[in-house]
Amino acid sequence: MSSAAIKEEQGAANQREDAPCAATGRAVAVAIKQLSKTYPVSLERLKKLFRRPIKPPVEALRDVSFEVKEGEIFGLIGRNGAGKTTLTKIVATLVQPTRGSVSVKGYDSVRDEEEVRNRIGLATAEERSFYWRLTVEQNLMFFARLYGLRDTGARRRIDELIERFELGELARRRFGELSTGNKQRMAFARAMLANPPVLLLDEPTRSLDPLAAARMRALIQSLATATPPVSILLTSHNLVEVEELCARVAIISRGHIRALDTPARLRALHKQTERIQIKVRGANADGVKRLLTDVLDDLEVKDSDETTLITFARETDDDRLDAAARALHETGASIISFDTERATLLEVMESYEQDEQGGEEKR
Amino acid sequence: MTSMLLLLRRVRAFVVRDFLLAVSYRMEFFLRMLSILIAVTTLFFISRIFEGFVNTEYPQWRNPLAAWITGLAVLNYFMTGFSSLATAIRQEQTQGTLESVLLTPINMPTMIIASSAWDFVQATFYSFLYFFFGWLFFDVHYQGNYLLAFMFLLLTTLVLACLGILSASFAMVFKRGDPFGIFLGTGSALFSGVFFPTQLLREYAGQGFASVSRILPPTYGLDGIRRVLIEGQGLSQVREPLLTLLLFLAVLLPFSLWVFGRAVRRAKREGSLIQY
Repeated sequence: MSSAAIKEEQGAANQREDAPCAATGRAVAVAIKQLSKTYPVSLERLKKLFRRPIKPPVEALRDVSFEVKEGEIFGLIGRNGAGKTTLTKIVATLVQPTRGSVSVKGYDSVRDEEEVRNRIGLATAEERSFYWRLTVEQNLMFFARLYGLRDTGARRRIDELIERFELGELARRRFGELSTGNKQRMAFARAMLANPPVLLLDEPTRSLDPLAAARMRALIQSLATATPPVSILLTSHNLVEVEELCARVAIISRGHIRALDTPARLRALHKQTERIQIKVRGANADGVKRLLTDVLDDLEVKDSDETTLITFARETDDDRLDAAARALHETGASIISFDTERATLLEVMESYEQDEQGGEEKR
Repeated sequence: MTSMLLLLRRVRAFVVRDFLLAVSYRMEFFLRMLSILIAVTTLFFISRIFEGFVNTEYPQWRNPLAAWITGLAVLNYFMTGFSSLATAIRQEQTQGTLESVLLTPINMPTMIIASSAWDFVQATFYSFLYFFFGWLFFDVHYQGNYLLAFMFLLLTTLVLACLGILSASFAMVFKRGDPFGIFLGTGSALFSGVFFPTQLLREYAGQGFASVSRILPPTYGLDGIRRVLIEGQGLSQVREPLLTLLLFLAVLLPFSLWVFGRAVRRAKREGSLIQY
C-alpha cells in the first residue's frame, strides 16, 4: 500500500473518531467538532463604499475534529500559520468559530464562555500578557482575584506555584525585570492558578534552559497523571518534546488536520521500515555476514576493535530483530548495545507538507 | 449575594492593580496635584478682573471663581466617566494584557465596572482637590444640599459612562478615531458651561449653536450642581435637569451595553481583540 493511500485511510479513520488512542475509555475533556474559522474582511462594507481594495477572507481552520480525553496530553504540530494559535484561541473563547463547535467539559465555547473559562488555563510564550511594572506576586494576585479566589486561598496557591516554578527569589521583582525563561514560567503559573482541569500550552518550554525544560516536561507529565487528571492540549515546534509527552498528535497544515494518531503510529505510517544497529562482542564480520545475509535486508557488518557493528533494515515491529538476536546468541556472541533509527515526527510533518504542495501544484 | 461578593472582589482586584501601577509612577501623581493648584491659582487671578462686577442675569456666576472651580472639578469627573473605559481597553490592547484578562471568568458588565473603578477613585480625589484648594487658599465657600449635588454628579457620570461604553465599543472595533471622544472631549468645555454661562451661546452665536448644549448631558449635570451648591436650590427647583439626566440614562444604558456586547463579539469574530 502506498504512503499516500495509507495516509488517506488514516484520514478516514480520524473522521470516524475511533482512531486508536492511548487514553481511550476516559471521558472527553475537550471535543472539537467540524470546526472552521474564516477571518472576515474587516469593515468590508465600508471599504466597498470607499472603493478600497479588499483582501480575500483568510481561512484559518477547515473542518477540524478531534477530542482530548481526560488526563491526555494531546499534541498539535504544524508550521507557522498552520492554524494552531487560532484553534487554541477558539478553545480559550478568545476567538469565535465560523462553523462547528468546541466544548470543554461539556460546556460550549460560545454559549457558555464563562463556564469554559472557569475550566481552562492558557499558557503562551507571549510576554506582553502581564503588567511589567507589577511584581511577580502582584501579577499573580491580580489574576487570582479575577478567577474569584479569596485572598487567603489565593496567597496559599501563589506561594505553592512560586515554589513549584522556582520563582521564590523573584517573587518581589517586577515582571519586566525577569528573564524570558522566567516570564514563561510565570505564564504557566498563571494558567494553573485556578487548578483548571484543562490546560492549553503554547510552546511551554521555548525559552527555558535544558534543565528547566526537562523539569517542565516532568511537571506536564505529572499533571496528566495527577488526581484529578489535567487534560492538556499542547502546541509546540519542539517535536522531540511532543513525541516525549503526547499520547496522540495531530498534524495541522493550512487549517486542516492532515493526520492524527500516536507518535509511533504516525512514524510507522510515514516510513514502515527502520534501521537497527547492534554492537556485539565475540563475533567477526565474516561470520556474521554468512549467518545473517539470508535473514536480514541491507545488511552491513564492520569490525571495530574488539566489537562488531551490525546494521540492517526491518519492517517496524516484524520478528527479524528477534531472529538476528537468537542467531548471534547461538554463535556465543554477546550483544553490547542496540540502537534504532526511526522516522522522526519532523519527517512525518515534512511529508504531509510535500503532499499538500504537490496537491496544489497539480491543481 | 455570592455573585455580589465576587463582583466586589474583582472590582477590588482592578483597583489594587491600578493603584499599584499608579504609585509606580510617583512623579506623575505630584505633578498632577501641582497642576490643579496652578489652575486654581490662575483662575483666582482672572476672577480678580471681575471683582465688584455683579450681573444678576447669571446668578451662578456672581462669584466666577466658584463657578469655574465647580466647572473644572465636575468636568474632570465627567471626562473620567466618559473616557475611562475606552482608555482602559486601549491600554490593555497596547500592553497586550486584554486577552489574558478576558481569559479569566469575568463577564462584560464586571469588566466595564472594574476597569474604570480606579479612575473614579482618582477622579474623586482630584475633583476634591479643586474644591479643597479653592477653600483653603482662596476662601471659596459653597452652600446647599451636598447630597443632592452628589446625586447630580453620580447621575451625570453614569450617563457619561454610557457614552464611554459606546466609545469603548469604537476602540474595540476601529481601534482609534472615536467620534464620541472628539465631540464630547472638545465640545463639553465649549457647550456645557464650564467656563461661561450657556445662555451666552444663544446671545452671541444664535439659537442653532446654542441648541448643541441642550443635547449634551454635562450641561444638565453642571447646571444642576451649580444651582444646588452656588444658588442653594432644593430638589423641587432642580427637577428639570434631574429628569432630563434620568431620561438620558434610561435610553443610553441598555443601548450602550448592547453595542459593547456586539463590539466584543465582532472583535472575537475578527480575531482582533489584542490588535490596536
